[in-house]
Amino acid sequence: MIHLFLFAWLAGQAGTSDAMQHLQAGLEARKQHQIDAEITEFQKATESDPNLADGFVNLGAAYMEKHDYGAAITPLKRALELSPDLPLAHQLIGYALLSEGYSAEAIPHLQRVGALDALGIAQIESNQLTEAVSSFTAALAQRPGDPDLLYYLGHASGLLSKDAIDNLLATHPDSARAHQALAENYFVLRQMPQAEMEFLEALRLRPDLPGLHLELGQVYANSAQWPKAEVEFRAERKLRPGNAEAAYRLGAALLQQGKAHDALPELERSNELKPEMPETLYSLGKAASLDGDSTTAEGAWQKVIEVEKNTSLAAQAHFGLAGLYRKQGKTAQAQHEMQEFQKLQGTIGPPRSEK
Amino acid sequence: MLRRRPYRAHLFVSDGCRLFPPTDTRLSPPRFVLAYLRILKDDIHCCAAVLQAKETREEMPCRLTRRDFLNYAAMAAAAPIFEVKPLRGIDFLLQNSPTPRKFLLETMPGGMALFDYNNDGLLDIFLVNGGRITEGLHVPENFERSNPRYWNRLYRQNRDGSFLDVTEAAGLANAGNGNYGMGVAVGDYDNDGHADLYVTSYGKNILYHNNGDGTFRNVTAKAGVSGGGWSVSAGFFDYDNDGRLDLFVTRYMDWDTDHNKICGGDWHTYCPPNAFPATTCLLYHNRGDGTFEDVTERSGLAAKKGRALGVAFADYDGDGFTDIFVANDGMQQYLFHNNGDGTFTECALESGVAFTADGKGMSGMGAVFQDYDNDGRPDVLVTVLPREIYSLYHNEGGGIFNYASLEAGLGALTSLSAGWGVGLEDFDNDGWKDLFVAQSHVLDNVQDIDASLRYKELPLLALNHKGHFERADSGVTKPLAARGVAFGDINNDGCMDALISCLGGPPVLLLNRGGGNNHWLSIALQGTRSNRDGYGARVSVNGQTRVATSAGSYLCANDKRLHFGLGSSENATIEILWPSGAKQILNDVRADQFLQVREPERS
Repeated sequence: MIHLFLFAWLAGQAGTSDAMQHLQAGLEARKQHQIDAEITEFQKATESDPNLADGFVNLGAAYMEKHDYGAAITPLKRALELSPDLPLAHQLIGYALLSEGYSAEAIPHLQRVGALDALGIAQIESNQLTEAVSSFTAALAQRPGDPDLLYYLGHASGLLSKDAIDNLLATHPDSARAHQALAENYFVLRQMPQAEMEFLEALRLRPDLPGLHLELGQVYANSAQWPKAEVEFRAERKLRPGNAEAAYRLGAALLQQGKAHDALPELERSNELKPEMPETLYSLGKAASLDGDSTTAEGAWQKVIEVEKNTSLAAQAHFGLAGLYRKQGKTAQAQHEMQEFQKLQGTIGPPRSEK
Repeated sequence: MLRRRPYRAHLFVSDGCRLFPPTDTRLSPPRFVLAYLRILKDDIHCCAAVLQAKETREEMPCRLTRRDFLNYAAMAAAAPIFEVKPLRGIDFLLQNSPTPRKFLLETMPGGMALFDYNNDGLLDIFLVNGGRITEGLHVPENFERSNPRYWNRLYRQNRDGSFLDVTEAAGLANAGNGNYGMGVAVGDYDNDGHADLYVTSYGKNILYHNNGDGTFRNVTAKAGVSGGGWSVSAGFFDYDNDGRLDLFVTRYMDWDTDHNKICGGDWHTYCPPNAFPATTCLLYHNRGDGTFEDVTERSGLAAKKGRALGVAFADYDGDGFTDIFVANDGMQQYLFHNNGDGTFTECALESGVAFTADGKGMSGMGAVFQDYDNDGRPDVLVTVLPREIYSLYHNEGGGIFNYASLEAGLGALTSLSAGWGVGLEDFDNDGWKDLFVAQSHVLDNVQDIDASLRYKELPLLALNHKGHFERADSGVTKPLAARGVAFGDINNDGCMDALISCLGGPPVLLLNRGGGNNHWLSIALQGTRSNRDGYGARVSVNGQTRVATSAGSYLCANDKRLHFGLGSSENATIEILWPSGAKQILNDVRADQFLQVREPERS
């Protein structure tokens, strides 16, 4: 692509006859994929005419092709001295500088040509994290779903997040938010006692901070301290009655303790606040089934299947429906659901090692 | 006036007393005492309280005097049901021989039997040992058993509660090189009135015939029950109701030291079961002449390969034939329905006991098949690994089970624990079978992998409140690497005790303190037309039902006597449905006795 562009661009360039001959010879060598010959010819072209900008651009491009990015920088810089608006020179030198670790110097060149992906990387390396997130977001708008861009966006966002948290811990170490951040870190590391301690301290400092009870509840849930988890989820639900997750978590904690009747309204509420969440619907079906409300259970599980189709949660919903129908004496329907479950469930039949 | 052990106490105050925070209103006994001490300290004596008695789960308001309060506090602070007692005369250490090679079998033993081998009325103890695994490893490993430290052991109970090692005298020394010991089953397979032993191993299993003179004879070759491969739990039962005990043996997987694997990357752990091929269990039919026939194929059991660790027996659908529940590790569970014609049909999926409520397989290890909610139908309980929940399947009748773990309270009790041996026994004699589980993770380094889990754990004791289980203090204060647990009334005091096997350590005896006012009844069956042990009989006492069996748990054999707590009842009505089909009713039976019941010769 770059080659075609170079040919087109060079067609309109002028220079000494000798220099132009070497330039043409270099381009011919490029067609033959003879990089060393290419470099030799472009070097001769620039020696013949030290003001031939396109000669320096091509020499830089040839070094780039050879992955000798360090060698590419000098001719590309010279090209830009001769012709400061050469977009290709900006692009190539931006890549070359970035490859050699001179990310701060690369940034203006990459900005100038709108090379968003490379620009984002250069911004990460220069610790311009907010700008990097913007660059990758813009790049993703042009190339949606690009795995490299998604990776770098995640990477930049993570660094930005870490940067902000480090800043928080350094500047406000005794704040509720600092304790919350530490707690979240401990939670990820599965160090639950420490996570609990930090969340409790955060709550002591700011009892009404949204999300704290929810997170502390999850610490307790992860440690199977369900009554304590219930208390926290209940507190969060009181603080944020419109939060679907708080209602869902409370319902799930109640369900885990066998309190299906109490779990049911919480899960129904969560489903109202945020409809068609498969996990909520599945738990709603389970709570309803345990509570003897087969109509609600059936409806919720059918909705899971409708939303999820072929996932493991859909398999679970089929399994739940099979049990429900079996209890109701609807043998044919139970068998049908069990067949659907078996289709989706890889664990049924001979163990994997025998297949 | 006050009942013993009110495990819940609701406190509130009146008449100007200081108010306790609402979160303190459900207090376990020690915290209740602490709360009370706070009251005393504040010189508050006019508190009213609501006590919630475990027997009724109804609130019983009462105004307490200071004396009542002190009395209650003393009772609430009373010692737990069990007391860890030294086993006098027992110097056994379970030699599982852990190695850096992480052979899966190192983490699996060992079995125990509580049985009366000499018919003196006292329970004796048989302990299965693992075997030697050399550090340097010479494959194939021969699991040397000739050194006495690797022997299985038989300990005879003396009248004073101590034990005497009679292993050599009984002819049970040295289980043979190549046999890494696993579990044990107890049953009188030849109906001569003396309990016989079947010892399972990785390698060859051994049937020891009890000669009735204090000695045993290895009759494996003649009987044809040596098995092979990796046998785990086993049990005697009479599947064809011919009056002779047959034998079922679970086998874990196709595994050998040549093909061992190590998993977990840098964590270097034992591999999960699905890293190895599944295998079949074994069923031996008792011909009645001292020999058994391997009917695994003919019975249809061979059609289902699994990774079986636990087995329990009961006639779940009331058709008169004993069925088999098999706890499989890392997959679906199996329920083999006895068709009554010598064949079985695996029907776990249709019956609702194959998976969790979410349709997921589980790490089934131990199993028990008894009626936990006193509705007369045997239910299934399976112990599993952490992040799962011990699975309780309530028998709804009509051959259908309903997953009942959450309603029964097991969700909150068991989701971070790894359970092995398990039993449903009435430890407080209140008429409801309580739950006891020997707990410990499979992986000895699990805490490094997941900080919220522990390798060694305390056992779980959960008291049964009309079908709902609530944690109680087991009396064990030091976490154990527990595996098997066997239940029986070791000191014949009318209260069920527990014996736990621990990897690398001695067995741990939990002696029931008793001391309550509840009554009890212990029934020893003697079949005439049925098998002499009466295994498979359904015995109902004052509305509670037990299936007669010594099998269940994990690797272990329980006291075959049927124990019933009677609560405040001083009399009992006993109904027995024998495997022969004979029905027997005994009215006005006095409580607090060991009763022998002989099956009527004719109907």
